[in-house]
Amino acid sequence: MRSLIFAAAFGLASAAALSTATPAEATGKVKCQAGPQSGWKNVEALKAQLTKDGWKVTKAKVDGGCYEVYGVLPTGEKVEAYFHPVSFEKLYVAQRGKVLFRKSGY
Amino acid sequence: MRTIINSVKLFWLLLALPGMAMLHGWWTGAIETMDMLHPTGETSARLMIAAMLIGPLAGWLGQRKWLMWLLTRRRSLGVAAFAYAVAHLVFYAIDMGSLEAILGELPIASIWTGWLALALMLPMALTSNQAAMKLLRAAWKRVQQLAYPAAVLTLLHWWWVHDGATAALVHFAPLALLWLLLALRKLNKSQTSPQAGV
Repeated sequence: MRSLIFAAAFGLASAAALSTATPAEATGKVKCQAGPQSGWKNVEALKAQLTKDGWKVTKAKVDGGCYEVYGVLPTGEKVEAYFHPVSFEKLYVAQRGKVLFRKSGY
Repeated sequence: MRTIINSVKLFWLLLALPGMAMLHGWWTGAIETMDMLHPTGETSARLMIAAMLIGPLAGWLGQRKWLMWLLTRRRSLGVAAFAYAVAHLVFYAIDMGSLEAILGELPIASIWTGWLALALMLPMALTSNQAAMKLLRAAWKRVQQLAYPAAVLTLLHWWWVHDGATAALVHFAPLALLWLLLALRKLNKSQTSPQAGV
């Protein structure tokens, strides 16, 4: 009986997690269709722009064809954010998995 | 050779090896503080799942020799899971940098589930010794059963904090599956066995 209860608890937990996860989180990444990397702007320019805007950039890398940035917002939240590598448009910002911003279509 | 394999100290050394590699990487600057969170958390969850699999596996497969060998080491696995969870918290605290920042993240579902899972693991770890077992008697088992809600919370913490659900689910699926199989077998047995007094 106990194992049945906990199997049910796992099922419920999974359902709860699914209900809060958006499709992009389920695949794990935001995807950018930005063409070949030769046409992208330099990631250093993105870091400089964000720093100018008051961000503290910890790390930046390529993920899902976008620039993925880890850093601290001017308001103090530690976030993970995605930017379009050609336009530097902000696409997604999340704090420990909690989505703070998502551009529609991403 | 058999003595070496059965050595508890060697088992502890094996459990500590991933942690030592992680610490070495961090100390030498090869691993950034924020990148210590994932391996410490994942190792903790893996050890927790391993410890929790042994009992149901023995229930399912019977008293196999290798399972009995693992059964006597289940406590070490559980305590090691807690130790990696504490390391996970320590690196989280270092990465956050201030108490204010830590408290600021507390209301986020992915974060409070992690705190709660660790809080449930604490009494288990503290009572994982012979003295506590003797002292608490029947209550000792109830304390150790905190592993079940702790596992559910760990699953939610991992799932919500991470980019995707796949890794968390892949890790916890064997446990859920085994529980389900045991529950179904129990249900099947109770339906097929003749009722007493009829």
